[in-house]
Amino acid sequence: MKKTFVIALLLAASAAAAENPPLITRWENFTTANGMPDQKVFCVTVVGDRVWAGTEDGLVLIENGKVQKVYRPEDGLVHRVVMGIALDKKTGDLWIGTFGGLSRFSGGQFTNYTNLTSGLLNDIIYGVAVQDNWVWVATTAGISRLDTSTGEWRNWSEYNAPFHEPWGYGVAPAPNIGKVYFAVWGGGMIEYDVATDTMKPYTDPDEEMEMVLFRNQGLVHIIVSNIAYNPDTKMAWASTYFGLSGYDGRNWHNYLTKDSGLASDFVNAPKSRGNEVWACTDKGLSFLDYKTQTWVTYRPNKQDGRGELEITWPDNKKTKLETPTSLAHNYILNMDFQGADIWVATAKGLSHGIREPKMEAQLYASAGLVHRNNRKPNGEGRQVAQANSQKGH
Amino acid sequence: MRTHHPTRQAGAGRIRRILLTTALLALAFVSAWRFSAPSVAVAKTPRAFSSEPRYITPADLRLSPDGRRLYIVGQGSDSVLVVDTRSRRVAGQVQVGSKPQGIALSPDGRTLYVSNEWSDTVSEIDAGSLEIKRTFPTGWGPAGLATDRTGRHLYVANGISNSVSVIDLATGKELKRLATVRSPHYITASRDGRNIYVANVLPYLGPYDQPPVSELTVIATADQVVRERILIPGVIELRQIAEAPAAQGGYLIVPFLRPKNLDPLISVEQGWVVTHGMAIVRPASGRMPLEKPSRVAQVLLDDIDAYFADGLGAAFTPNGRLALVTASGANVVSVIDTARLTQLLRQAPPEGLPDRLDAARRFVVRRMPTGNEPRGVVIAPDGRWAYVANRLADSVTVLDLAQLKVAGTIDLGGPREITMLRRGEQLFHDARYCLQGQFACSTCHPEDHVDGLAWNLETPQLGRDRVDNRTLRGIAETAPYKWNGHNPDLITQCGPRIAKFLFRSEGFNTEELQSLVAFLRAIPLPPNRHLPKDGELTDAEERGRRVYFRRYMTDGRPIPIQNQCATCHPADMHYTARISADVGSANKYDTGGMFDIPQLDRVYESAPYLHNGEALTLEEIWTVFNNQDTHGVTSDLRKEQLNDLIEYLKTL
Repeated sequence: MKKTFVIALLLAASAAAAENPPLITRWENFTTANGMPDQKVFCVTVVGDRVWAGTEDGLVLIENGKVQKVYRPEDGLVHRVVMGIALDKKTGDLWIGTFGGLSRFSGGQFTNYTNLTSGLLNDIIYGVAVQDNWVWVATTAGISRLDTSTGEWRNWSEYNAPFHEPWGYGVAPAPNIGKVYFAVWGGGMIEYDVATDTMKPYTDPDEEMEMVLFRNQGLVHIIVSNIAYNPDTKMAWASTYFGLSGYDGRNWHNYLTKDSGLASDFVNAPKSRGNEVWACTDKGLSFLDYKTQTWVTYRPNKQDGRGELEITWPDNKKTKLETPTSLAHNYILNMDFQGADIWVATAKGLSHGIREPKMEAQLYASAGLVHRNNRKPNGEGRQVAQANSQKGH
Repeated sequence: MRTHHPTRQAGAGRIRRILLTTALLALAFVSAWRFSAPSVAVAKTPRAFSSEPRYITPADLRLSPDGRRLYIVGQGSDSVLVVDTRSRRVAGQVQVGSKPQGIALSPDGRTLYVSNEWSDTVSEIDAGSLEIKRTFPTGWGPAGLATDRTGRHLYVANGISNSVSVIDLATGKELKRLATVRSPHYITASRDGRNIYVANVLPYLGPYDQPPVSELTVIATADQVVRERILIPGVIELRQIAEAPAAQGGYLIVPFLRPKNLDPLISVEQGWVVTHGMAIVRPASGRMPLEKPSRVAQVLLDDIDAYFADGLGAAFTPNGRLALVTASGANVVSVIDTARLTQLLRQAPPEGLPDRLDAARRFVVRRMPTGNEPRGVVIAPDGRWAYVANRLADSVTVLDLAQLKVAGTIDLGGPREITMLRRGEQLFHDARYCLQGQFACSTCHPEDHVDGLAWNLETPQLGRDRVDNRTLRGIAETAPYKWNGHNPDLITQCGPRIAKFLFRSEGFNTEELQSLVAFLRAIPLPPNRHLPKDGELTDAEERGRRVYFRRYMTDGRPIPIQNQCATCHPADMHYTARISADVGSANKYDTGGMFDIPQLDRVYESAPYLHNGEALTLEEIWTVFNNQDTHGVTSDLRKEQLNDLIEYLKTL
C-alpha cells in the first residue's frame, strides 16, 4: 500500500513537471486552388468569425470556411499588395497597409491615404496598428501616425527620432504600459512613451555582429523584422533575422536555434498571448510555452506533405510527431489567433491551424506520452479545455 | 484619372509673372515689416449681428410624445423654445450654447438634447422644467443628434470633424467617434432601433471633372460601428432623413439636390442646372460587406416649369400615407402621396427617374406655402397636424393634414423689424429670384459655405474654366471676388452679373442688392477648432509657422519674395494679398493662368483647393500641383516639414 502511494506521488510530480504543450493537429489551407488570389500571403488578421488576409494580389475575406471576397484596387483598395491589417476595435474599421498607401475599410467602402494625398510619410507600408484615436503606420521611410479625431499626421524618421535606419517594419501598441513598440529593419526596436512623447531605441549591444556574445545581453540583432506585444505578460517580442528577442521592460530573453526549439534564426514575425510565444520563421512555425520553456515547431514534410511536429522539451530532448495535414508552406510570414485556433500566412497560402483535443491525446499516446495539458487556452479555447475536462484528460 | 498641367504659352506666362512679381514686390516692400515673424493670430469668433436685434431663427423642432409640446431650436437666440400646441403660444425658453443646431428627445420624452455648433457641446435639458442638467463635449461642429431606442447612447453628427460622436448618457463621456464623409448634419434613428442614419451634406472629395457622390452613413446600434456606407451618386446636400412605417415598406426618404456642375451654366434657361428631389433608400438587412447593399432610387420633387429648391425637412405621417418635404428655398412644403410614389417606383425604370421633371406631378398631391426658409418638419402623433420651422420668419407654420391646408402660423416672438441684414439673409435663401425658382444663393453655398464642387460657370468659351466654389464666410475684407478677380466688390459680384449669368432673371433690385451684400459682408468666420483657446501653437504648428514665414530654403538659398508664402498670403489681410497670381495651377481647360489669391481663414474647412478644386487635400496643393515650385517653394521640404506647414495653415 505504501509502495503504491509512493509510485502515485512520483507520477503526480512527474506530470506536474512535464505538462505537455497544446498542439495544432489539423490544418486547412487556402491557396490559389480554392479561391486565394495569390499564393503569397503576407499578413492575416482575425475579426471574430471573419478572417482578413493580405496577399500579393489583394485583400481577402474568409468566412464560413470559404474565400468570400477579394478586394483589389478596382474595388477601391489603394494597392494590390497588402502587408498589414489592423482592426480598430472601437469603430470596427479595418486599416490596411499596402505597398501603395494606406486604406481604411469601413461600411463596405475604402478611403485611401497616400504620400501625395495626405501626411503619410511613405507609401511602402509594412505594418499598421490602431491605438485609441491613433493609427500607427510603419513605412519604409519611418513611422507615421494619424490622429483620426483631428486629422493630424505626425511622422518619425531619422530626422527627428533615434532611427539608425528609417525602415519601419512593424508596430505594436502596448496600451497597458503606455508604450508603443516599433520594429525597425536595421534600426532595432524603438519604444515610444505616450506620456512623455519620446522615443527610445534598443539596438544590438554586439553592434551589428551576426552572433550573440552574451546571451540575454540585449536585442539579438538590429535587423528587426516585426514586433508583438503581449498585454498579459507585458512583454514585447522582436523578431530578427538572427533570432528571437523578448523584452519585459527590464531584461531581455533571447532565443536561438542552437539552444532552443526555435525552427530558424530567420524570424519574420512574432506573436504572443498568455504564456504563448509564436515565431514565424523561414523554416516553419515555432511555438514556445514560456512557462515551461517547451517548444513545438510545425512544418510540412517535403516528401509526403504530411505535417511535421517537433517538440523540444526543456531538457532539449526532442519528440517528433506527424499529422495527416500540414501548413501550406514552411516559409511563414505572419499569424493571428482565433480562440484556440491559429491562422498562418505563408509563402504559398493561408493555413488555418485547428486544435482537436481528441487528436492531441492520440498524438501524445502514439509517442508514448501521457497527455497532460491542464492549462486553459485563451478565449474560445476554454471550450477545448472544458472538452478535455469532460473527457477526463 | 487626374489631369496634369499642360505646357502653357511660355511667353505670356513670363509676362504675367513679371507683372505679378512687380506688384508683389511693391506690396512686399510697403508692408515687409508687418510680415516678418508676426505673432500668432488668435482666432476670433465674431457675432454676425452684434448690433442687430436678436432673431430667434428656428432651425429645427421636435414634438413631445403626446404632441402637446413643441421644442424649437432658436439658432439666432441661442435658445430652445417650448410651444404649447393647443394654445399655439410660446410657453417657455432656455438659453443653451452658441449657435444651436439640432435637437433630439429621449425615448421617454423627458429629456432634450441640443447641439451647440459653435460651442462643440450638447446641452442636456429637462424637457419639463427646461433646466439644463448637463453639458457634454462633442466633436467639432455638432449638428444633428439622436438617441438610440434604449436612451443609453446619444449619437451626435459633428459637421466640422466629419464624424459621429457616440456618447454614453450614463457618464456623459464620448465612447467613440465614427468617421463620416463631409459635413454630416442630420441623424435619424431607425424605428426598429437597430440603425442610426447619418446624412452628409457635402459629397466625397473626388475628381473635379466627375459627378459627385454622396453618402448616407449607417451605424449599427448593437455594436456602434459603421455597418454600411450607402452611396448616392450624382447628388449633394443630403438633408433630414425620414423613415416610412414598416407597414409601408420601411424605406427612407432623404432630400437632396442634383447639380449639373459639369455642364455650362448657360443651360439655366433650359433648366436642369440644379434639380431638387429625394433619395428613396431601402436599407439592407444583412451583414456587410457580403450581403447585398441597400437599394437607392432617386426622384425629383420639381415640376417642369417650377422648381422647389433646397429640400431640407422630411417626415412621414404615422400611417405612412403621406410624406412631407420642405423646400427651404421655395418656402413650400411638398405633400407626397406615398402610395402613388411606390407605384411610380414599381412602374418606372429606376435609371431614368433621377432626371424626370414630370415625375413629381404623379405623387406630389399638394404644395403648401410656409414662412421664409422652412427647415425642420414634424408631424403630430395623431397625424392631423404638421409643424414647420420657418427659420427666417421666426415662426412655425401649422399644417392641417386632414384638409391639406395651412391651419395657421405660430409667432415665436422674434423682433418685428426686418433689418437690412435679415432681409439680405432672406434673399440669400430665396430661390424665387432665379428663373423658375431653380436655385438660391444658398443652394450652392449651404450654411454660407461651399458645396464642394467645381462649377462650369459661363465664360467666353463654353465648357472651359471650371472653378471651385468658394466660401462666403468672412469675405467682407477679401475683395476682389471671383477666381478671375474681376469683381471689385460684392455689389458687382451679386448685381447684374448674378441676374444675367446665373439667375436668368431681373435679379435683385437696388434695395435688395444692398441688403444681400450687407448680409454677405456680415457672415462671420466660425471658431477655429485647430487653434487652442490660449492661441499657443503646438510644436508642429510652430515649426510650420516658421516654414510659412521663411525667406530661405533649407540649403540657405534665398526664396524670391514673390514666392514666399506670406507675400501672397499676408497674415494681417486674411492671408490674401487681394490680387491675382499665376501659381502654375492652370490646366488644359483654363483660358488663363492668373487667379485671385484666396484668403486662408479656416482653410481646413474649404476643401477642395486651387482655382478648379483639383487639389483634394491641402497636401495635394504641393505634392501634386507644385512640381515647379511655382506655388511657393516646397520642393526642398521633407514630408515632416510639409506636414508641419499644413498643421500651421489649419490654425489660420
